[in-house]
Amino acid sequence: MKLRSAHLTHSMLALVVLLAACTSPERSRSLLTTNVAASTIAMQLCSNCHGMKGISDSPNFPNLAAQPEAYLISQLQGFRGHTRSDKDGYDYMWGITANLNDEQIAGLARYYSEQAPASRKPGSDTKVSAGKVIYEQGIAAQSVPACISCHGEHAEGNQTFPRLAGQHSEYLKKQLTVFQLTNQRPDGAVMKAITHSLSPKDMENIADYLQSISP
Amino acid sequence: MIISSCYPSSSSFRKISSLAITILLSLLLCNGALAVPTFARQTGQSCLACHAGGQYPELTPYGRLFKLTGYTLGERPVIPLSVMGVASYTKTINADPSADFPKNAVALFQTGSVFLAGKISDNIGLFSQVTYDNYSQQNADTNEWVGHSHSDNFDLRYADRFIQPDNDVIVGLSLNNNPSVTDVWGTAPAWMQYVPTKFGYTGASAAPVVSQLGQQVAGLGAYVFWNKTIYAEMSLYQTAKNAFSFLKAGNDISNRLSGTSPYWRLALNKEWGPHNIMAGLFGMNANVYPDPTMASGPTTHYRDRGIDAQYQYLLDPDTVTLQFSYIKEDSSGGDIAGTASNSSNTLKQLKLKASYIYRAKYGASLGYLQTTGSSDSGLYPGLQDDGTGTGNMIPIPGSGSITNNPDTRAWIPELFWEPVQNARIGMQYYKFNRFNGAANNYDGAGRNARDNNTLFVYIWAAY
Repeated sequence: MKLRSAHLTHSMLALVVLLAACTSPERSRSLLTTNVAASTIAMQLCSNCHGMKGISDSPNFPNLAAQPEAYLISQLQGFRGHTRSDKDGYDYMWGITANLNDEQIAGLARYYSEQAPASRKPGSDTKVSAGKVIYEQGIAAQSVPACISCHGEHAEGNQTFPRLAGQHSEYLKKQLTVFQLTNQRPDGAVMKAITHSLSPKDMENIADYLQSISP
Repeated sequence: MIISSCYPSSSSFRKISSLAITILLSLLLCNGALAVPTFARQTGQSCLACHAGGQYPELTPYGRLFKLTGYTLGERPVIPLSVMGVASYTKTINADPSADFPKNAVALFQTGSVFLAGKISDNIGLFSQVTYDNYSQQNADTNEWVGHSHSDNFDLRYADRFIQPDNDVIVGLSLNNNPSVTDVWGTAPAWMQYVPTKFGYTGASAAPVVSQLGQQVAGLGAYVFWNKTIYAEMSLYQTAKNAFSFLKAGNDISNRLSGTSPYWRLALNKEWGPHNIMAGLFGMNANVYPDPTMASGPTTHYRDRGIDAQYQYLLDPDTVTLQFSYIKEDSSGGDIAGTASNSSNTLKQLKLKASYIYRAKYGASLGYLQTTGSSDSGLYPGLQDDGTGTGNMIPIPGSGSITNNPDTRAWIPELFWEPVQNARIGMQYYKFNRFNGAANNYDGAGRNARDNNTLFVYIWAAY
């Protein structure tokens, strides 16, 4: 019986050594290895929250598909350098990005920018209509400029201005609040003045409108 | 399966460790923002990335993937150690006779755990826990309590993930010491728990064998999780021995298995928007010797079949969880083994729980526990010899069942507060509508189910 047990133990140890030797950088979940390809990081790590093609199930996490490369690079650098410090960024992204090198960040940005954007999610007509007006025309009486001037005619984004079309409305509302109430996203400092006089209702209308459109 | 657990006594450093843990808890509460256990240190992420609303041990969809990929996401921790402690106050409403309710209405440091956990290689990771029970056993002569350390949950994994933009398959192996400890949903027998107290009444006198083998067995299992949709697992367990004795170190065997016992699990998972839901089945067959100290004699055969489901809504600032678990246990041969009167018995355990947490700080939950089954005078005795040598039989106060039936039903409301992400202060109440077969005079000695109602207040912290 003892002999059998010893055999079993040795077999298991051999199995563990064999399995450990099978480690492959193509399927690594390490946050330290600089030789891990961006495509591996996107699959093994980022997909857990952002989906395999940059479209997330949960509105806690933004869609990354079809975002401008420059925007994704600036955000990943912001998380890595801790200049973007909103709570979700701190809770989830600081650790994940801590050891990414510039090449990996560029590779991730390229991967997500090349994915097809998220499809639209229709919202209530009243909110969508009200949001469309703010997006296209701003609110002159409250000195809120039109979003369209930076984020594009179809909210497709441009360089460091993110794509907003098809983004989760809950995520957009949260970020508008972050811009309005905090300085946790300094690269979006321009948004602080823009969102200054938006009401929660305005934010909801804009967010629901943007979620409802797809270019 | 009758619950029985006790740990062998051992002299130890109870007072020193008690003091150390108390100081540690105090430090934690002062410096909580800097304090995160080893997995969080490994990923650099907050606890609530993996734990729903910071409600341990319940996992988020992300936490499930972390566990299923073998705890390998992140950097290998420099010091793969964490500690956890529970200080508590337990008060049973009617603690008479007082001998049956030691430490009733006394604030005390109850348990402390050390975790050795973290990534070992890109494919291998470990979750292991050693627990120090500050009130392990009472010395019969001096009535003094002695503390004792013992092996707690252990889960060593190898995992790999084959993921492409259109397909995702996670496969893994686990060496562990508790059927269903491998599971990633909160309704598995090993995880559908409240912060436990060993004092007072906090459950039924009987529970399915699948939930009673923890830290007594060694098991090896394989699992697959396909496209975050289908989870399947098959594991084989034996009573831990020889090279695997460390998996039960410090624990008495209460259920000694004959041969190999299979455990299987199948679950369907769906995630959409802020919602996710799981519906699953699981089962275990086990042959158990009548005497847990000896591997001999005819065995009782247990056949456990369970169905469970969990729903989560996770959208900042709200966390909602609904949980359901139902296990039916058929047992046979207990009459031949000498542990039961009937040739076959059934036991049914239902657990329900709903919880809500706001901003991962303020939480409330309501649980319901119902255990029913066939009457059996061997399994659930109601009378004992009065010790006079006359053969006169008298009721067993408190723990007896005059109807020889396990029927126990309880509501369990809870309120808790998490001032920082790794500390929790909670208050639970166990309200019994029935106990051991009846609402009133269940033991034949005049004790009612409501006499067992128990208040449990705790401070839990981990670093």
